Amino acid sequence: MEKRKPRLGFFKYSCCAGCEFQLIYFQEYIIESLNSFDFVYCKMISSGGIPEGPFDVALIEGTITESWQVDELKKIRERSKILFSIGSCAVNGGIPAIKSTQPELEIEKRVYSDLSTIHSIRPNTIHSYVEVDGDIKGCPPGERDLREALISVLSGKKPDFLEYSVCIECKLKGNICVLVAYNMPCMGPVTNAGCGALCPSNNRACYSCWGPMKQANALALARKFEMMGLSPEDIVRRFTLFGSVTTEFRKVAEIYES
Amino acid sequence: MRVNIDYISRVEGEGSVKLEISEGKLKNLKLNIWEPPRFFEGFLCKRSYAEVPDIVARICGICPVSHMTTSIRALEKALGFTPSTEITNIRHIMALSQIVASHLVHLYMFALPDYHKLTSITDMFPGFQPELKRLNRMKEVINNLTALFGGRPLHPVVMVVGGFTNLPSRDMVRKMIKDLEDLKDDAMKTLRMISSLPFPDLTSTAEYVVIRNPSDYAINEGFMVSNNRINDIEDDYSIIFVEKEVPYSNAKKTIIKDRGPLMVGALARVNLNFDMLHEDAKKTAREVGFSPPDYNPFHNILAQAIEIVHGISRCIELLDCLTLKKDEIEIKVREGEGLAVTEAPRGLLFHSYKLNRRGTVEKANIVTPTAHNFWSLEENLKKLVEQHIDEKKEEIVLKCEMLVRAYDPCFSCSVH
Repeated sequence: MEKRKPRLGFFKYSCCAGCEFQLIYFQEYIIESLNSFDFVYCKMISSGGIPEGPFDVALIEGTITESWQVDELKKIRERSKILFSIGSCAVNGGIPAIKSTQPELEIEKRVYSDLSTIHSIRPNTIHSYVEVDGDIKGCPPGERDLREALISVLSGKKPDFLEYSVCIECKLKGNICVLVAYNMPCMGPVTNAGCGALCPSNNRACYSCWGPMKQANALALARKFEMMGLSPEDIVRRFTLFGSVTTEFRKVAEIYES
Repeated sequence: MRVNIDYISRVEGEGSVKLEISEGKLKNLKLNIWEPPRFFEGFLCKRSYAEVPDIVARICGICPVSHMTTSIRALEKALGFTPSTEITNIRHIMALSQIVASHLVHLYMFALPDYHKLTSITDMFPGFQPELKRLNRMKEVINNLTALFGGRPLHPVVMVVGGFTNLPSRDMVRKMIKDLEDLKDDAMKTLRMISSLPFPDLTSTAEYVVIRNPSDYAINEGFMVSNNRINDIEDDYSIIFVEKEVPYSNAKKTIIKDRGPLMVGALARVNLNFDMLHEDAKKTAREVGFSPPDYNPFHNILAQAIEIVHGISRCIELLDCLTLKKDEIEIKVREGEGLAVTEAPRGLLFHSYKLNRRGTVEKANIVTPTAHNFWSLEENLKKLVEQHIDEKKEEIVLKCEMLVRAYDPCFSCSVH
């Protein structure tokens, strides 16, 4: 008898939907991915769908910015055996969380003159509301970790995600260090690996689109940037582009804001 | 009878259509774009000009390149920087690769299932093997093309204000030209496949608006034209268009001042710029019986297929004339304002920025194709429902969804 395909739910909150696109269009193993799972709910590829689940695996993309999302997310958690947050928005707040670095009402007023129909809450991660079984990091999510997540569900093992910094990837590629050799304010030392050190391989400083590596010593890197002559504003910007709501990066922002 | 399509599937982002029919008449129809706002224009203030392209890329997962190229050109105007022909050509290749990629997703994955009474691409696995293999071949090469100059196909990193931080080798470009040559046949097959679909009838009266360039099929720069009097430089954008907040939608509605609805995107472009298309595209378009002007909005997907043929052939020409000489990126920061109007996959895209003397953003404004299409999509939905008012609810729902998909809206972009 053929084994039942795992039931997959894909939910989008406040984001660009790029993670869903990575899954269905940009990664290499699309046909295999689409064939191996029963897409119970995934608005981007299918009409209808059953948002109530139950799911063997739920993938959640996007930052949480409205309260209905919290209610729905909690229900999904109850009805899913495994729940992964996918992409920087879900994992560490991503770009939408830049909003939390400035007075939020001021920001909202710059966009809408009538705020009576706008009901935004402070942007936050999936972690801050429910327990998560793993993070598929990156913006866009890394193919290696995405594949690892899907394979782990299919084979019933625990996923083994990359948990080291971009520096390791540069060393493996034999790159010249853009921070040490060219004085570029590279976020690689504190950023989680997974992109293959894309920016440093292309003469550019890493801008941390994967967000912080767990327990990164962000303050040490900020001090280095200060010695290189970066202004406090520029330092704050580098640590609030992705992951402004994370413990690792918020600390730096708080110190250099004051 | 009330019809609520709460969450339209197989489009980018979150929107719904609500309508009410009583005594054989359409009483009310609203397109509600309930995609949550992320306030890009709000939090771009106080960020550095250099971060802007990377930030705005995240407005959209399908068209990040368009937001990057548009913001870069607006910022370069503010900073008084003029890019070289080489840079302009590479940006043109990037934008075309994005348009082809976006159209491919839309045609094969979003639009096609409807025409075969299926709900999803996963239902197509048994019966559509040659089509899916073709899609896979094409998307692979096109993604590689964006990555060749951008580092990666989604949210590229190599394209920055002032140029490119790295360029590929001559050999890599040669190989890409060969790969694209191999796709020409697939592109024409795609167009023939789309042209044979049973399109519903509908005649739109919306004004088509595009940018036009006398020497090329305009993508990244041109002046604004329409089939009704618009003929202006991009800097006059705010004189012609006005954004309106709508109580039932998080996306604003953009309209031409004191005039009716407008339509932007592939059909508008192919209609108004048909003479500038690559010969390959013109020839295949005529073969399948397309003749501009075409007023059926369902044919937007036909226009997309024509643009796929154009995009591939034009990219080969552009790749062929690159020098691949690396230049240092030199930007002198200054105070200034700049705006750019371009053609994103879904149509007219506007970005404008005001920078202070340190290059910090003081004001940002972004108007996306779907905001330009908002009103005409609503009006055409009304017309469509009225034409099919006696049909069953399921038929009306399907027709409405098909029309929304034909416009290929990007709700994430429209709210941003």
